[in-house]
Amino acid sequence: MDFAIFLVQLLNGLQYGLLLFLIASGLTLVFGVMGILNLAHGSMYMIGAYLMWYFVQLTDSFVLAALLSAVIALLLGVVIEKTLINRLYRRNHLDQVLLTIGMIFVFNAMQSLLWGDDPLGVAVPGWLSGSISLTELVEYPVYRIFVALLCLLLAAGLYLVINRTRLGMLVRAGESNREMVECLGIDINRLYTIVFGAGVMLAALAGVVSAPMASIVPGMGEHVLISCFVVVVIGGMGSIKGAFVAALMVGIVDTFAAVLLPQLSSMIVYILMAVILIIKPQGLFSS
Amino acid sequence: MQAQPLLAVRGLHSFYGESHVLHGVDLTIQPGQALSLMGRNGMGKTTTLKSLLGLLQPRSGSVEFLGRDVGKLPTWKRMREGIAYVPEGRGMFHNLTVKEHLQMAARPGIGGKLEWDYDRVLATFPRLAERLTNLGTQLSGGEQQMLAIGRALLTNPELLILDEATEGLAPLIRKEIWEVIAHVRASGISTLIVDKNIEVLKNLCDRHVVLVKGQVVFDGDTQDLQDNLSQIECWLSV
Repeated sequence: MDFAIFLVQLLNGLQYGLLLFLIASGLTLVFGVMGILNLAHGSMYMIGAYLMWYFVQLTDSFVLAALLSAVIALLLGVVIEKTLINRLYRRNHLDQVLLTIGMIFVFNAMQSLLWGDDPLGVAVPGWLSGSISLTELVEYPVYRIFVALLCLLLAAGLYLVINRTRLGMLVRAGESNREMVECLGIDINRLYTIVFGAGVMLAALAGVVSAPMASIVPGMGEHVLISCFVVVVIGGMGSIKGAFVAALMVGIVDTFAAVLLPQLSSMIVYILMAVILIIKPQGLFSS
Repeated sequence: MQAQPLLAVRGLHSFYGESHVLHGVDLTIQPGQALSLMGRNGMGKTTTLKSLLGLLQPRSGSVEFLGRDVGKLPTWKRMREGIAYVPEGRGMFHNLTVKEHLQMAARPGIGGKLEWDYDRVLATFPRLAERLTNLGTQLSGGEQQMLAIGRALLTNPELLILDEATEGLAPLIRKEIWEVIAHVRASGISTLIVDKNIEVLKNLCDRHVVLVKGQVVFDGDTQDLQDNLSQIECWLSV
């Protein structure tokens, strides 16, 4: 592998990892803070992509479509939390799994009903099309760099909110001792709604920015969900920092494996997960 | 004529599953008053606190705070009425620093009351000021108790409830905590203190309640306590 191909694969791996982080951060927050195992989280990624396609058709504007998709995803997250998820807080993980699997079926059926089962695509907007030269012979798409930078920006924003704001303190406190949070006069249910809504929005945003890079197809949420669970488990359940490091690891390992070890590429991230769990059974950054 | 009570708990019956733990507990605290709640382990002291805070839903009974029925409110709303709670075990957040524990809790009390702020808490507990960047769980037991009390005071409460405030602490630290509680009391905040140290409580509190098997067996002022000391010590001894 020459340097140029190595560089391309590294950038692809980083960009894929950052996208995974965007989805996995919501999954790990919802589990860490609310104790909810949300198997329908991948569906939010799918819904984000389909909403993006729909709004691009409607508005012919990439930015407007992305904003509308994000806002609708946030509202959808709030509605789901208020109507379904809030019934799960005092229930065990089996009940959570049953309900959220049911939600996957419902979302898939709705997607089929609203948008059909044919693959759809969103064009890269003109101002983000084209490539930049990495070497004399190798170019890299501007859109992929844009996605990586956007994900980095969102990751930095999430880091600042979690670590530097009162809301972030409340989220971390809720993760540690929810009864005590209530005893300080804080409405924990409102906090849960915010966390769940934000988690859904981040997953949907990942779907939004993925739409121009890959086909929008039924079931796209399930595939990404499995990768996200690998990220969350490697990083440590509930750890945002862990999710970030693990997402980059998974992204890079998966991308390079596809090139270097194509026979093993479908299982390489699971081997990575197994090795890390043998060394650190609670994940890299579990609290 | 007696003023409207700050807290009036009447006829609390609470259960853990089928186990009947509280049998009609009554408690009243007047504004500015300090009440001690005593009893041996397992007599229902913490259950009484949890029931009046809504952490455990009693099957019957009422809880009024400043004349308002708060018995049906969720815990966080009751606390917003002006109650602060320092739980047994101190309720530290393992992922928050000392500074964050204080910052996240700080808010005005009812009517915008802002008697306690970050600086006043640090002035009251200078040891916390030296440990601001440490995690709450990295503090010693006494420092954790100071942090839990400081955090509760930053909600600017009308009533401060302390559950086993000095349990497991060294005698010197215990003395320090009692001095702080006396200071809080002197600032006009009503207090409900659960502890077993009758010697300290009889000097610190105006009224005293003793629980035996989930029932109030004594409710009187410090003079009554003094007059019935041997009987009360009998109820409290193992």
